[in-house]
Amino acid sequence: MSFDQNAFLIIITASIISISCGLLGVFMMLRKMSMTGDAISHAVLPGIVIGFFVSGSQRGLEVIIGAGILGILATLIIDWLKNKAKVQLDASIGITFTLLFAIGIILINMLAYKVDLDQECVLYGEIAYLPIDLWITKAGFSMGPRITYLAVLNLVLVSGFIFLLYKELTLTSFDENFGLVIGLPAGAINLALMSMVSYTTVSSFEAVGAILVVALLVVPPATAFLWTKKLTSLIKLTCALGIFIAIAGYYMAYLVDSSIAGMMVAVAGVIFLGSAFVKSIKPNWIFGTSSSIKPLEN
Amino acid sequence: MIINVDSPVLEIHDLTVSYDQSPVLWNVDLSLPAGKLIGILGPNGAGKSTLIKAIMGLIPITGGYVKLFDRELNDVRSRISYVPQRESVDWNFPASVLDVVMMGTYGKLGLFRRPGKKEKKIAMDCLEKVGMQAFVDRQISELSGGQQQRVFIARALAQEADLYLMDEPFAGVDMATETAIFQLLQEMTAAGKTVIVVHHDIHSAMNYFDWIIMLNLHLVASGPKAQVVTEELLRKTYGGKLNLLTKVTDIIRQKDFNPLKS
Repeated sequence: MSFDQNAFLIIITASIISISCGLLGVFMMLRKMSMTGDAISHAVLPGIVIGFFVSGSQRGLEVIIGAGILGILATLIIDWLKNKAKVQLDASIGITFTLLFAIGIILINMLAYKVDLDQECVLYGEIAYLPIDLWITKAGFSMGPRITYLAVLNLVLVSGFIFLLYKELTLTSFDENFGLVIGLPAGAINLALMSMVSYTTVSSFEAVGAILVVALLVVPPATAFLWTKKLTSLIKLTCALGIFIAIAGYYMAYLVDSSIAGMMVAVAGVIFLGSAFVKSIKPNWIFGTSSSIKPLEN
Repeated sequence: MIINVDSPVLEIHDLTVSYDQSPVLWNVDLSLPAGKLIGILGPNGAGKSTLIKAIMGLIPITGGYVKLFDRELNDVRSRISYVPQRESVDWNFPASVLDVVMMGTYGKLGLFRRPGKKEKKIAMDCLEKVGMQAFVDRQISELSGGQQQRVFIARALAQEADLYLMDEPFAGVDMATETAIFQLLQEMTAAGKTVIVVHHDIHSAMNYFDWIIMLNLHLVASGPKAQVVTEELLRKTYGGKLNLLTKVTDIIRQKDFNPLKS
């Protein structure tokens, strides 16, 4: 296989998206909120449609703002159902995102004649079209693939967010009450994280779709957590896995001529299952960290 | 018997706390002196942890108010330290012992700033005080229950506060560790700090605490140990027939002890 510029662009973009999702996914997993990430990625649909309708294009800032608002709204509804209405967490997640998602589907159908947007695009995305979807400046000069720019901007914002709030995110993920006691705005930090997840979902939906984004949020961190019990290693391993599944996913999709995003997630799933299997049969596996050491006393 | 003090470290006025409309703490009214080792005693479900959480602002108050150092909680957070129950967190979290103890310094650091050498030094000193310096780099998932508890206490020490609130710090801790921690707490109170501990072992409470709060939904007693530890007040707190001097250990063994029935 010789060097193919399109392949290179697709792999780079997919890697960047995987890393952004993985970085946020690590903290979602540690907060036991992976399913909230799932809920957000679906709940942003009406926001995307409304933003799309307002701006008349899927490139508008309105789309991201609309999705961001819906993502936060979904988080707030889930929290409210859980804390105030005493609904179980899994039930409140299930109710909230299906309701918002359904509203999104209805809106798409109602506005279908006005906007060029269909469920397929939002749900599945298609990263293979990336090289022909260029960012053309007003002077008519082509700057390269638009989605790559979006992904880079997203990664910069996500890693900046995590870099700045690393200690706060870690503390509130481990012990939220302690965070509140020492005066950290734990609620605001949580909402900020949810906003970043919403924004990342929207930024990535054209490439990998709203459903597969969930896999990128959940699977690489969960896989990495099987191998390490150290936060910095967990983050590094998650990023490395993100890059690996982008490369492997692309070439396997190329071989069988199928969806790249689908293949990426399939690869991620197989790696996870393989890791879980190896871990279950061989707890003292040489790659394992000291996690296998037993406590000194009980 | 409720003994009040002048210029209290902690003043609670007419505090009522309820979960889902049913009150779990009624009209608690007390004031506590500085520099004392204070124990909160009471049977299971008496509202001991609820009282601590209400003081720390972690659960909403239905009525009354709490004042710390004669101020609102938000003004004095940096002077208050908290040890939650060990079971309140997931110890499978990817962090080392040092990471967790350093969290105690985050309140003073403020947003965005990263812990540096100074914070690490504080954390190491605190780990030494609880005898955990050999475990600095160990992952917290590899600790035993007693070690986890000591890490939590070290984290609270790293807050360098004046008032410490500890929720069942001796649950699941062996006798040797309990004695060592009590000695540490006594050193702290000797240095002018105030330490409030939720405790369920009456026997060791008699040995170590200076001041005792007895709680059973209502406040039964609050005052110096010598004055409030009477058979009558203990019976009011724990219910049943209680001969303090001879049957203290029996109470502890009595697992399904329900003061409301007797």
